Amino acid sequence: MTIKRTLVANRGEIAVRIIRAAHALGIEAVQVVSAADRDSEAARMADQVVVIGPAPSKQSYLNAGLIVHAAKQTGCDALHPGYGFLSERAELANLCAENGITFVGPAAETIGALGDKLRSRAIAAGAGVPLVPGTDQIASVTAAHHAAEKLGYPVLMKASAGGGGRGMFVARNADAITASFDAASTEAQEAFGDGTLYMETYVENARHVEVQAVGDGKGRVVHFGERDCSVQRRYQKVIEEAPCALMPAKLRAELHEAAVKLLSSMKYLNAGTVEFLYDVNRQAIYFIEVNTRIQVEHPVSEQVTGFDLVQTQFRIAAGEAALPRQDQIKLNRHAIECRINAEDAAKNFMPSPGRITRWAPPRGAGIRVDSHCRDGYLVPPYYDSMIAKLIVTADSRPEAVERLKVALAHFEIEGLTTNIPLLRYIAAQENFAANRFHTRWLEQDVLPSFQQDHA
Amino acid sequence: MANPTPADIENLIELFNRSEWDEMHLKTDDLEIFLSNDPNARRPSAQVVAAPVAAPAALGAATTAAPAASSAAAAAAAHPAEVSIPAGMVAVRAPNLGTFYRAPKPGAPAYVEVGQAIEADTEVCLIEVMKLFTPVKSGVKGTVRQIVVNDGTMVEYEQVLVIIEPAA
Repeated sequence: MTIKRTLVANRGEIAVRIIRAAHALGIEAVQVVSAADRDSEAARMADQVVVIGPAPSKQSYLNAGLIVHAAKQTGCDALHPGYGFLSERAELANLCAENGITFVGPAAETIGALGDKLRSRAIAAGAGVPLVPGTDQIASVTAAHHAAEKLGYPVLMKASAGGGGRGMFVARNADAITASFDAASTEAQEAFGDGTLYMETYVENARHVEVQAVGDGKGRVVHFGERDCSVQRRYQKVIEEAPCALMPAKLRAELHEAAVKLLSSMKYLNAGTVEFLYDVNRQAIYFIEVNTRIQVEHPVSEQVTGFDLVQTQFRIAAGEAALPRQDQIKLNRHAIECRINAEDAAKNFMPSPGRITRWAPPRGAGIRVDSHCRDGYLVPPYYDSMIAKLIVTADSRPEAVERLKVALAHFEIEGLTTNIPLLRYIAAQENFAANRFHTRWLEQDVLPSFQQDHA
Repeated sequence: MANPTPADIENLIELFNRSEWDEMHLKTDDLEIFLSNDPNARRPSAQVVAAPVAAPAALGAATTAAPAASSAAAAAAAHPAEVSIPAGMVAVRAPNLGTFYRAPKPGAPAYVEVGQAIEADTEVCLIEVMKLFTPVKSGVKGTVRQIVVNDGTMVEYEQVLVIIEPAA
């Protein structure tokens, strides 16, 4: 392993995940923290901790200069960006390259090219990958009206510079566009520094299906199967599964092939995920975007393939021949992940930071909990509310759903409000067990009755 | 204990584990060891790289040298020790991580010297982040009593840089 010391440029559960993988490979870990994370789990695990700034992300985890300065001064030869924060900003990858630090991820140019959602659509089209019918950038409400007439309502307007649901809205008629266009553009401007919007056909009864892939930077790309991430709220994933049990084998094969073809055409380096919309009614798949980073939900792919994706990331970054052959990757069993958030689902998902007075995650066969939390830990208010990921694995989807119900029943967290009651409610739904839902199901069908029951 | 061997260190660890002590700090000419059962324990000195009590082999390695890397890394290997601020004095702290410089440019006179009388808006040092240089102001009128950090070393957010005795 030629990497000696990595900087961990993230926080929370993914920082813990990165340090675990690094240590397993004999790589030292230097953890940068904000003042609020001085006593975090990652800080405790790391070989060295450096406090870079005060709590606000802009002055700490979003400041590439501070992070790379810390990496240089502590003798790091690599840097892992995790997900979110700067992981998909070419700026960080470039700064690493300029300073002789190996960025554990794709090349900066790839991040730049695929980070622009409009450009990535053009790249996908060029690689022969089917797209959601859509437009180029839309500069005004009037232009949006024209485009929507052509595409046909309902339409989805999205930010071209970033994801996570920000700057996104559905419009079923011209008035809806007029009502939301400016606010969405402003939201995108604030989240990504670019208010550009574009438009796509809105697919009813859609599933969000994505393919986990890794490339060697020379044109060879393998996939680790797909994930179904259709239980969402405000375009944020809540539950993710591997594989997509609903999709027929032939379409799954097309899906994998499309993802590999796209990334291979770019000589993609390291881990990435190609996201698609699965139009269940039309049995068609459409490219949405590429995420040029390790994702929150990577554990479900690890569980069904047996590969450690974060270790693979480090090994690829170190120049090792770490890419297995496609036939060496076998998909086995079914895994389901729930994101555990410190929020009150019954009170409009109000964040609930605070001190955990009891932390008792479930344990047992087929249960994995990825978290940075512990008894007595103070969940700070400055960052996103995810405090753990609960991943269950079983031989089939029905068995995984049963295992999930048991695991959720035994997950005890006191001191904060979490979304566990909502997750238990979802897991108990007949439609969830029957694998009968779509990307709007949670918000349209489940939440209203949940909130009524818990008012 | 002159020229301690790994066996000596293992014996010390065993002694500590069998005892009811919470911590042990041993310092000789050749060796400094800090053992603690408390994962939150502060290392008593900036030069020691403390290792987990359960790993004598690792501890043996840790008592010799900081991880092999650049000299900058060796200097920054452990957390900066807590500096105690004398009663009535004020600390000028780093506004963010960066490299501390005493003078505006190499070879130029230092911003301030110990004993110098300064105003609240006197610049006392420079913090550099990736070639971006930002001076740090005193914030208080008074006299410079201590310049805590060495020129050219990395400092963390809120680390004490200079100690000022406020004017009466």
